[in-house]
Parts: sequence; C-alpha cells; structure tokens
Amino acid sequence: MARMKFLCDAERCIECNACVTACKNENNVPWGVNRRRVVTINDGSPGERSMSVACMHCSDAPCAAVCPVDCFYFTDDGVVLHDKDVCIGCGYCFYACPFGAPQFPQDGAFGQRGKMDKCTFCAGGPEADNSPEERTKYGSNRLAEGKLPLCAEMCATKALLAGDGDTVSDIFRERVTWRGSAGMSWGWGVAYGKGGLRKGRAIEGKATGGE
Amino acid sequence: MSNNRQSRIRHHRMVVFSLLSLLLLTLVLPLIPYAVADLGESAGKVVNPGADLWREVRQRDRSVIGTTRVKGVDSGVLINVYGEDWRQFRMQRLIPYGAALMGIVLSVILLYYLVRGPLRLQGGPSGKKIQRFTVFERTTHWFTVSVFWLLALTGLILLYGRFVLIPLLGPDGFGLTASACKEAHNLFGPMFLVAILMLFVTFVKDNFYARGDMTWLIKGGGLLGGGHVSAGRFNAGEKIWFWIAVLGGIVLCVSGLILDFAVFGQGREVMELSHVLHGIVALIVITVSFGHIYLGTAGVEGTIGSMTTGYVDEAWAKSHHDRWYAEVKAAAVDDSETEPAGGGSASTGVASPTRDG
Repeated sequence: MARMKFLCDAERCIECNACVTACKNENNVPWGVNRRRVVTINDGSPGERSMSVACMHCSDAPCAAVCPVDCFYFTDDGVVLHDKDVCIGCGYCFYACPFGAPQFPQDGAFGQRGKMDKCTFCAGGPEADNSPEERTKYGSNRLAEGKLPLCAEMCATKALLAGDGDTVSDIFRERVTWRGSAGMSWGWGVAYGKGGLRKGRAIEGKATGGE
Repeated sequence: MSNNRQSRIRHHRMVVFSLLSLLLLTLVLPLIPYAVADLGESAGKVVNPGADLWREVRQRDRSVIGTTRVKGVDSGVLINVYGEDWRQFRMQRLIPYGAALMGIVLSVILLYYLVRGPLRLQGGPSGKKIQRFTVFERTTHWFTVSVFWLLALTGLILLYGRFVLIPLLGPDGFGLTASACKEAHNLFGPMFLVAILMLFVTFVKDNFYARGDMTWLIKGGGLLGGGHVSAGRFNAGEKIWFWIAVLGGIVLCVSGLILDFAVFGQGREVMELSHVLHGIVALIVITVSFGHIYLGTAGVEGTIGSMTTGYVDEAWAKSHHDRWYAEVKAAAVDDSETEPAGGGSASTGVASPTRDG
C-alpha cells in the first residue's frame, strides 16, 4: 500500500504562496483558516529559505494521541483525517502538533474555537467520497478521483511534492544526486557558472538510472 | 674474494632500500587522493547555509523565527518542539498518575471507613443545638461546591472519557457528551473565580494560623487514635484545606482563563504551560476534596448538619471544636448580660451565632 507524504524542497521554494491559494480555493476553507502556509526563514538576508508547511500526516501523530474524543483516524494510504461530527474544538491537537497544522474557525461569542480544520491531503473525511456533505465539511476529495493534492500539483517550481512516499523520495534523491548536496547545491557558481556544476565535471545521464 | 664480498654488501643494501621504499609507499600512496581533493574544487568546502538553518529551526531557544503571509498565532514558527513535551506530559504523566492518585486516596478512605468506621459522638447527642454556619456562609459553600463539581466532573470526563466512556457510549455519543462538557466547562469556568473570591472573603478570618494548630497536626487530628485534639472554629486540617482550595482555585482560574479565551494572541507555549498547571492543580484539589467530603459526611457523626441546617449538637462542638465552643458560650453570656430581654437564644435553646470578639 502506498503511504502518502508531502515533501517541500527548500532549495526550490520561491515563496509564491500558490499552494496556499490553491488549497483555500479547492477546499472552500473557511475565513480565518489556512490549511497550508509558507514560512520564510531569514527573509531578505543571504541564505533565506522558504518552506511550505501543512499537516505532515505523521505515522505517530501527536494530534491523534492527545485528542480527548479520539476523532482522528488513518486511511489505508497513511493519511491522517478527523471526524468533525465528533470533534469538540478543544484545541489540544494544536498544542501537540509540531507543525501548527490544526486550525480553528472562531465560533460564536468570546472567540470560542469551532471544529478543527486541517489539511486532508485532499482526501475528504469519513462521509461518502465526493458527497455534498463531505465537500461542505472537509472540501475536495481528489484522492478518490485518482488525483494528488492540488497544492503540490500547482507548485510552479515543483518544490512541493506529494504522493506515495517511495516515489516522492525517489524524485528527491534524484534531484539531490543531480545537483549535488551541501555546498555544491547552492551559490553563484551553481546558478550562473559556465555550463553549471555538472557540465564542468562531465557528469551525464540520469542519477537514478532507468529512464 | 673482496669482489664477491662487495657484491654481497651491495645486494643487502638493495634489499633494505627496496623494503624501506615499499613501506614508505604503502603509507603515502593512499593519502594521495586526499591531497588531490584538498587542492581541488573549493565549492566542496562551502557549507550550505540551509544545513544550519534547519538545525536551528528545531531548537528550543527559538532563535530562528520565520515570517509568513498567513496571519495567525505562532504562524511564523515552523516547528514547535514543546508540543511533544506537552503530549508526553498529558499522556504519560497526568492521565496515569492522576488516576493512580485519585484511586489510591479513595481506596485509603474506603479502607479506613471499613476498618475504623465513622467517628461516633462520645456520650451521644446532648439535644441542644448551636449554630455553626450562617445562611450566607452555607450559600457560599454550596455555591462553590456546585461550580466546583460541575467543573471537576466535566474536566474529568474530558481527561478520562476517551478511555472510560468511549467503550460505553461509542464515538458519536461520547463526542456529543464531550462537546457539552467542553461548553459547560468553558462557560461556567469564569464563575469559579467568583466562587473562590466569595469563599475567601467569607472564611478567611477563621483560617489563619492559631496556637494549637501545630499540636493538632502533630497528633494527626486524632484520626490515628489518641482521642480528640483541641481546636478552634476550624482545626488545622480544615485550614489547610481552605488554603489549598483558595490558592489552588486561583491557579485554576488564572490558567483556565488563559485557556478559555484564546483571542488575546497567547501562543502555544503559554497554553501548554497553563494546561500543565491546570491539570496538576485540578487533580490535587479534587483528590483533597475526597477527604473533606468524607469527613463532612460519613466520616464524622453529626458534622453534616453544620452545612445543611447550619446547626450542630453542643456535644459535637465540645468534642471537636472545644475552643470555638467556649468562645461562643462566652459571647452568648456577654449578650445575655448586656441585653437580657433581646436575643432569643435563651428561649429557643440555641446559642447565638456570634463568634470571636
């Protein structure tokens, strides 16, 4: 069985926020809630890096562990989903999550938390696939249509990858081998040097073989 | 002869020289690639700034904070490492240790009751009643009790319901229950602050340390045998319970308000810390309250009346709170001397509610 994973290649992310917008649009995410965000570290300084982050669909998910009503479940693809009919909006998953993925719409007086909303890997919820109820509560179910999450599909630089963990890591491994790692993967010479790093070293062919 | 000898020496020299050369080459040859690599590409030496960056992002001192277009509390924090600490605390410490604490204390109380039984009034009731708590004091007490147990029960359901109630009610049923509990807990939580302040104002004057409290504590309040220990209106045990309730209540209210009103931009670290305090203090206060409830009802004969009707038997007062009884009697005598016709305490056979001078 495939195990779904997100991976954001920080050497490629250009902080265009297209993934954030695509997600909001595709899933009709409520006002004040963003299932995905792009965080930029050292913004404007040399060595600036951006990374798109949402629910990472952990194997040992802290949100599921601390939930007082046990409303989380794992699909066969390893996607972490939750049942909004059971969720009570206590906020514990937000405390426990390292990525700040769970979000809460403000509900009623005193800014009480409503039912939690988070990235579903475009896989909907417990309702029937692509039913109107599922769409209203959780947004789109692209996985049931055989498509991958829209954020990754939209990514212009293909920084954000989504899909079967094996495939995603194969693509990333190929990239790293191709461009080199650590010091060889960045800097003026790599970006603008004559013929680039690989040509200078006469490296040819696909790094992972096959074709 | 000499020619032969010379050739033999030369032969020896060649062998030694060859062996030394071989040894030297064996040592030096493998080092050549390193030397070449060191002279080569300088790009290999340059450290990717990303490497340190991703390490720093996961540090606890939070030296690296990101920026993001997305508005929200803590949205610039890429990795919140304290979340895992909080998870471990809640799941591995608070829930099992809290259950053990409450279970052990309840078992000890039950065992004590079964073995020793309730504390009987020696010599039986005298029939004469004396007022222990006024209507206002009783109202304060029962108001605090109502709010406290509403919050304690809803809180315990939210803490232990996943393990105890989901098997009974099913996930949907418990979802509804838990939702009601959360709403009630959040709605009536601020009311507890009012109750605690009322409790403090009403009872604080009789709960300061007084002479004899230490003796009472050393003798274990007579619970472990050795007869009754002299006490004022409240004994040292009741005083300690008062301060646990008031100080614990204040910690519960402050941390609870931080958790309840998530609209002032308080981040996850503040909330995690508040939750840790809230959980520990709540379980301690609930556990101590078991002892208070036992002693006020089944544990000591004749005590429950003080909080229901407000009156206790004089024999009860004499044996449990002898100094308070003496004070009330002295005050009643003073009253009857100054106002012989007034009062009504004499006619109804009930002592005046007046306390301390």
